[in-house]
Amino acid sequence: RPRHPGTRTMLPLLLLLLATAHSLADKEYVPTLATSPLGGLKTTSTFVLEQPRCAFTKVQSDAVIWLVVAVPEAVANFSNSVEPGTPERAFQGFPDSTPAYMTLNTTLLNYPCPKPPGEITVLRVGSETSCATDKTRPTCNGPLPGPGPYRVKFLALKGSKPVAETAWSKPITLKTALPPSSIPATGGGRSTGMIALTSILSILFAVLLAGLVAMLFFWGSHARGSGTFSKPEAVTVRRYNTHHVYDQPAARL
Amino acid sequence: MAKSDDDICILQGPLVFGNVVIGMCGIALTAECIFFVSDPHGLYPLLEATENNDIYAAAWIGIFVGFALFALSILGIVGVIKSNRTLLLVYIILMLITYAFEMASCITAATHQDFLTPNLFLKQMLERYQKSDTVNNNERWMTEGVTKTWDKLMLQNQCCGVRGPSDWQEYMSTFRTTHSDADFPWPRNCCVMDAQGSPVNLDGCKLGVPGYYNSNGCYDAISGPMNTHAWGVAWFGFAILCWTFCVLFGTMFYWSRIEY
Repeated sequence: RPRHPGTRTMLPLLLLLLATAHSLADKEYVPTLATSPLGGLKTTSTFVLEQPRCAFTKVQSDAVIWLVVAVPEAVANFSNSVEPGTPERAFQGFPDSTPAYMTLNTTLLNYPCPKPPGEITVLRVGSETSCATDKTRPTCNGPLPGPGPYRVKFLALKGSKPVAETAWSKPITLKTALPPSSIPATGGGRSTGMIALTSILSILFAVLLAGLVAMLFFWGSHARGSGTFSKPEAVTVRRYNTHHVYDQPAARL
Repeated sequence: MAKSDDDICILQGPLVFGNVVIGMCGIALTAECIFFVSDPHGLYPLLEATENNDIYAAAWIGIFVGFALFALSILGIVGVIKSNRTLLLVYIILMLITYAFEMASCITAATHQDFLTPNLFLKQMLERYQKSDTVNNNERWMTEGVTKTWDKLMLQNQCCGVRGPSDWQEYMSTFRTTHSDADFPWPRNCCVMDAQGSPVNLDGCKLGVPGYYNSNGCYDAISGPMNTHAWGVAWFGFAILCWTFCVLFGTMFYWSRIEY
């Protein structure tokens, strides 16, 4: 049968489109930090991701979902076929000898779709401290060694074969702690109340001292004044009335 | 000299009244300062660790000044009623000394209140909370005081840090050197506790889920009592001194008018 002239180029093009469409389909999901308000969303060595619910729609439920944490430089040549648990993907070597590690493995059954409303479905990356230096636990979810930035993605493995993956997340940078000596000078300024109090009290005290000095001076001069002659008897001129004085005007009338 | 007698008679009443008020205020000042010195909120270790507990020194002076004011007011009343120059002179001089002490107390309390800022307590908390390697006994005493006070504060007031739990994340601390960030993003006492004293949900607390950890800061719980303390000493003392100024001035005038 005569073939359409364009089929030769059309068919490979179609296959190529199908292939890219197939591998892009699962890359729609981008891992993000948790959406609910959490105080510990990012600390200096951990961060909290939203669980990949409804991210792997075409994967069978017995696949194992792994979390891949990598430095941004390792994203370009990251290979999905390196198995987890090997020294190239061990947490203990991150980030110096292994630019990416894999952890938090769980079956797809633990990420049921759809997500029940109101539930907090999160993954805390960096919560296992006990195995952080234990080389026999290469898939340890240990605390991150520095502020990053880091990029993560989820990878679905069936046995040891990668079957699906999500896109890489945006770079996640953790908090950096400042030293306490960077806290600005702790001494407070002078408040207006304290200045008013100090000045008013000082003025009052000065007036009182001046009054005391004046008083003593007055006493001194008074004492000096009466010292030249003998102290007079304590005579008080009392006003006295006698019937006699008042009767006289009455008598005149 | 009849006019002088009248002056004196008129002045006696207000002066006696003024002294009665001084006496009562003196008792009130003593009682108030004893209350502050007894530290009902348990915040003294925090002040002690700043190595500047002027507010407490001001309160101590207030106790003795209050008592002195009471005693001197009685002397003043007796002196005014008897119109005795010697008594009144003694009264005036001793009152001036008491005035000077109370002035020092008021100014100290007002100045120190400006010193108590959030940053001061933040720095102290970060440097001293749960510090284990102390150089000498004095430092160990201060550090233990700070740790116990903070633990009690966070538990009783349901608060965390000075401004919030983020204090423990934004700054490095002595606590951070002994407690890893992954296990203890903030101290355990920042978690909501059940009746037995253990966290209701430890994972929720570490994640920072609202309701399982204390998200507000403790600064209000610290500054409230301290400000009351400082204001009580400084401004009540200021009011007493203003009144005392009037009475003393009147007494000086009265003294100069007494017949020798």
